[in-house]
Amino acid sequence: MSSDEEEWVPFSRRPGWRDVTPVPQDDGPNPVVPIAYREEFREIMDYFRALYFADERSRRSLELTAEAIDKNPGNYTVWHFRRRVIDALNADLCGELDFVSLISLKNSKNYQLWHHRRWVAEKLGPDSANKELEFTKMILARDAKHYHAWSHRQWVLQSLGGWEDELDYCAQLLDDDIFNNSAWNQRYFVISKSPLLGGVQAMRDSEVGYAIEAIAANPENESPWRYLRGLFKGHADLLIEDGRVSEACLKVLKTSNQRVFALSLLLDLLCHGLQPREELREVVQRLSSEMELPVETMDPMRSSYWAWRKSNLLPLPEAS
Amino acid sequence: MECTRGRFERDRHVRFMEMMLELLPSEYESQEINRLTLAYFVVCGLDILGALDRIDKDQVARWVLSFYSRSGTVEPGNCQFYGFHGSRTSQYPLDKQDLSFNASHLASTYCALAILKIIGYDFSNLDSNSISLSMKNLQQPDGSFIPIHFGAERDLRFVYCAAAISSMLNNWCGMDKEKATDYIIKCQSYDGGFGLVPGSESHGGATYCAVAALQLMGYIKANYISRSTGSSVVNVSALLEWALQRQAADGGFQGRPNKASDTCYAFWVVGVLRILGADQFLDKDALRSFLLSCQSEYGGFTKFPGSPPPDLYHSYYGLAAFSLLGEPGLAQLQVELGITALCGALT
Repeated sequence: MSSDEEEWVPFSRRPGWRDVTPVPQDDGPNPVVPIAYREEFREIMDYFRALYFADERSRRSLELTAEAIDKNPGNYTVWHFRRRVIDALNADLCGELDFVSLISLKNSKNYQLWHHRRWVAEKLGPDSANKELEFTKMILARDAKHYHAWSHRQWVLQSLGGWEDELDYCAQLLDDDIFNNSAWNQRYFVISKSPLLGGVQAMRDSEVGYAIEAIAANPENESPWRYLRGLFKGHADLLIEDGRVSEACLKVLKTSNQRVFALSLLLDLLCHGLQPREELREVVQRLSSEMELPVETMDPMRSSYWAWRKSNLLPLPEAS
Repeated sequence: MECTRGRFERDRHVRFMEMMLELLPSEYESQEINRLTLAYFVVCGLDILGALDRIDKDQVARWVLSFYSRSGTVEPGNCQFYGFHGSRTSQYPLDKQDLSFNASHLASTYCALAILKIIGYDFSNLDSNSISLSMKNLQQPDGSFIPIHFGAERDLRFVYCAAAISSMLNNWCGMDKEKATDYIIKCQSYDGGFGLVPGSESHGGATYCAVAALQLMGYIKANYISRSTGSSVVNVSALLEWALQRQAADGGFQGRPNKASDTCYAFWVVGVLRILGADQFLDKDALRSFLLSCQSEYGGFTKFPGSPPPDLYHSYYGLAAFSLLGEPGLAQLQVELGITALCGALT
C-alpha cells in the first residue's frame, strides 16, 4: 500500500508490472456526470481492469486491489476480485483482518468494507468473535453511534457468539452518554436476543427499573422513554398493569418542565384503557386548566399532532 | 456574494446542478461506483427545478443504456442479475460485452430506470421481463435482497430498490412480495422506526425504504390518518410518532434520536410522513428555515448549517425536501418512487 509520506510510484515505472497492458476506462461518447479523475486514481484503475479482466489471481493482484481499495473503498467489484484472489492464494486471513482495520482508519463508513470483514470473520469462525468485538469496540470508542460498527457487532454476537459481557458494555456506554440511542438499541437487542438472559420477559422487571431511573435523571431524553415502551411491546395489558410506569409519568409531570414524553406515554396508557387514579387525574386536570392545551403548548412544533391524538381519545372517565 | 438566507434560490440551484452535470470534482472519485446514482441526483434534481431542458435527453438515454447488461436468456439455476452495471471503472469495454463480468446492481438499476422514466424513455424498448425474472435470483430466503449476484450486504435499501424497479417496470414477477414484507416487518424496531436490518437501530433512511416499499407493494393504504382505526402490517401509530419526533428543535430532521439535524432526512422522514398522509403534522415553517440555513450561496445544499461546500447528495435531497414542502415553481414528487409526479403518471 502506498503511504502518504512517500512518493507514489506509478505502476508503469514499477518492476514486475512491465508485462501488464493497462486498460483505460471506456467512458463512451458524451458521458454524463464525468469525474475529474486524478492521475493516480486513473492509473490504479487502468491496471486493476487489466488484471481483473485477465482474472489474474496472483500476489500482485492482491497488492493492486489494496491500492485500489485505498482510493476507492466503495467499489464492490474491487473487493469481490480481492476475495477471489484470497481464495485462490489461500492468503492469510488474520492478515486480511489487519488490512481491513488499516483501511477503516481512513474511512469506515462504507458497506463494502464491512461486508468484506464479515466474509473473513465467517471463514475464521467462532475463534474470531473476540477480535471482531474488540475491533467494533475500537471503532465505537471513536464514534459511539457508528451504524456499520453496531450492525457488525450484532452479526458477530448472533453468528459467532461472545454475549457474556455485552450487557455490561451497553451499561458502560450509557454511563458515558445516557443520550446514546444506539447503546439503548443495543441494550434492547441484548435483552431480547442473548441466549444467556432469557429474553425480554425475564428481563422486563429489572429493565423497567433501569429505564425509569434514566428517565428521572433526564426526562427530556427520548431514548429511555422509547425503551420503556419497548419493554412492553405487544403487551399493552402488562404496560397498564405495571404501576411503576404511570408513577414515572406522574412524577415527571409534577416535577419537571420536560413533560412531552410523559404525556405521550400517558396518552398511550389511556388509549389502552388505564383507569387513572385520583392523583394522576388531578395532575392532568391541573395541567389542563393552567394551560389551555397542555401538550400542544409544551411541544409547539407538533401541536396539531397532539391535538389529533387527543381528539382520538375518549374523555377521562369520571372518578367513581 | 450576497446573503442567500431568506429565500429559495432556484437559479443558483439550477447552475449548481448544471456544473455537476458537466464535471464532478475529483473528490467524487471514490463514488465512481455509484455513477448512475450521481447522474440520477442531477437529472431528477433538474426535473424538480423545472430545468430538464438543460440536458440532451437522447444523449442521456444512450449513456444510461450503455450500462445495461443485455442478457439474452435467463436460465434457471443461473444466479445472474441482468440489470444495469454500477459504473465504468470495472465495466468490460463496451464493444466487447462479456457477461462473465456482469456486475449489475439493484441500486444502479433503480437509478437507471428512474432517469429513463424522467426523460420519458419508452419502456417497451427494455427487456423488462429479463430484468424482473433475473432479479428474483437476488431475493434471499428471509425475503431481503442482495444487490448484486456475487454477494454483498443485504438490507432494506435493496428491498426498496426491488419494489421500485418492479413498480416502474409494472412487472412484479421478480420478487416475492409476502416474503419481502415479512422481512420489512422484522426490521421495525421497538420504538416504531425501522433499522436497516432486523435488530438495528431505527434510522430515517431505512424507515423511508421500509415505508415506501410497503406503499409500492400495496400494504400501506394512503392517508392512514383519516382512517386511523385501520389495520396495517406494521405498527403505524408508533411509526408516526417516531417520525414526527425526528423534527428537532432547530426545525430540521435528524435520522436517529439525539443526533444532529441533517438536510437529507428532511426528505427521508418527511417522505415517510407524506406516504402516511401525515405531513400536515410537521412544522413546515421551521423545516423551511432549517433548510435555508443549509442552502449554499453557490447553489446546492450542505449536510449541516454552515458546513460548506455543498455536495451533490445533500443538494438533491434538499431540493426534494423543498418540493415536499410545496415550494412554488418546483415539480411535485411521487415520493415513494423518487421521481416527479408527472413522469410517474406516465407509467
